[in-house]
Amino acid sequence: MARLSGLQREVLSLYRQCLREIRKKPTTEHTQESRANFKAYARAEFQKHLSVNKKDFGAIEYLLRKGQRQLELYAAPGIRNIR
Amino acid sequence: MASIVRSSPLLRQSLATPRSSLLSKNVGVSQLVAFHASARKQILPPQPLNDPAPLPETHPSEGSYHWSFERLVCLGLVPVTIAPFAAGSFNPVMDAVLCSLIVAHSHVGFQASIIDYFPAARVPKTRTFLNWLLRAFTLTTAVGLYEFETNDVGLTEGLRRLWTA
Amino acid sequence: MASLRTTSRLFAASRPMFRPAALARTYATVDASTVDPNASKQPAMKTFKIYRWNPDKPSEKPQMQSYDLDLNKTGPMMLDALIRIKNELDPTLTFRRSCREGICGSCAMNIDGVNTLACLCRIPTETTQESRIYPLPHTYVVKDLVPDLTHFYKQYKSIKPYLQNDTPTPDGLENRQSPEERRKLDGLYECILCACCSTSCPSYWWNSEEYLGPAILLQSYRWLADSRDEKTAERKQALDNSMSVYRCHTILNCTRTCPKGLNPGHAIAEVKKMLASH
Repeated sequence: MARLSGLQREVLSLYRQCLREIRKKPTTEHTQESRANFKAYARAEFQKHLSVNKKDFGAIEYLLRKGQRQLELYAAPGIRNIR
Repeated sequence: MASIVRSSPLLRQSLATPRSSLLSKNVGVSQLVAFHASARKQILPPQPLNDPAPLPETHPSEGSYHWSFERLVCLGLVPVTIAPFAAGSFNPVMDAVLCSLIVAHSHVGFQASIIDYFPAARVPKTRTFLNWLLRAFTLTTAVGLYEFETNDVGLTEGLRRLWTA
Repeated sequence: MASLRTTSRLFAASRPMFRPAALARTYATVDASTVDPNASKQPAMKTFKIYRWNPDKPSEKPQMQSYDLDLNKTGPMMLDALIRIKNELDPTLTFRRSCREGICGSCAMNIDGVNTLACLCRIPTETTQESRIYPLPHTYVVKDLVPDLTHFYKQYKSIKPYLQNDTPTPDGLENRQSPEERRKLDGLYECILCACCSTSCPSYWWNSEEYLGPAILLQSYRWLADSRDEKTAERKQALDNSMSVYRCHTILNCTRTCPKGLNPGHAIAEVKKMLASH
């Protein structure tokens, strides 16, 4: 794999952070599928912006900030499922 | 998103289940619970989203002491700069005081600009490098001034000669 | 409406005859028949150039969009113009506003190069010059004129902006202050945290992560100066580092821009004096 730029590494680290947070979500008998839902949501959020040009730093930085904000919000223990 | 979570009945059940077990544990603590037909819910659970911004560590030698020192140096420079020219006499002790104050003043000033424009969080290596560069420059200046004072005419006398040249 | 229209036939030419009643007057719009008759003779068209950026299309660059308004039909303040643009010209324009009287601090923005509240800023009557409206400088923009103030509020929370007092009063009633002690808080308690001063401060532009900025420092001083607060020493200790306070280099943009006429620069100087004397 080619050497990644700082911004690319930041995007990947955000995705990994998302996956890590998903693993903290509870799985009780009612919400067996909640982690799968969170994962699907995270994937969809990232895939939505696949088309962004990799040299469009402003847009990527904005999306990173937005992603961090969303992650912070959904990582709250009160949120147990998503659909 | 929160509204969707709240409106799904299935999820509300799942939210209620762990709470009710928690309440049954607390029965001895609060007898009021028994009068509520539904589970009591925290209206505003503490969330990491609203955490305060972290404050830097307390460090008076970089904070208030540093500031007082800087102010004193500034105030001290005013009479020390004027005095030798006003009095017309040049003595080496006053020269030494003036030189050390100038060195301290410029060191603090440049340090402030380094802290302002090269935040340690963003460019840690540049920051350290510049800090050491500044120390090197300050030391060189101090040594240079010392040489000028001991082996040459001295700062104020030199300035006077430049002025009248 | 109809009765007004019959009495003001003279000026009817300056505005459309059959305006739908629902559109005829919102609170940002001045009905031509009710204002000074001399003013409504000629439409005074003024151009407003407004910063636009849509987060749904992050790849597109931000741009300035022009809107023309007749000042005779618009209220006197910038906020009136913005509301009228949103109501009548472009419903996609996004900005925060709430109280329209300078007490909520929502409509803080950069108008003609000065950070101020749109509701307290008169529209310059000079119609040949366009007015330019930007969001607060050096903030992350959420959309159009809406800045992201999350970090600002987090910093506010970090100074513990509430009364910290554990000793009960002798009579079990409220904590009392003498009028002199109360007077120390004048010029401090009026701050509405609109972030105009902080976002005008170059030091805050460069170091907003750690430097608290004039607004938060003014609030810090408000709690340091409060005679009822018992945690003054802790508060001072928390501020005693190179970043929180001492990035202030008395540039005084804060005092110059404050739309409420307060003096954050003076408050910061007082904080420095308090820190130096302990």
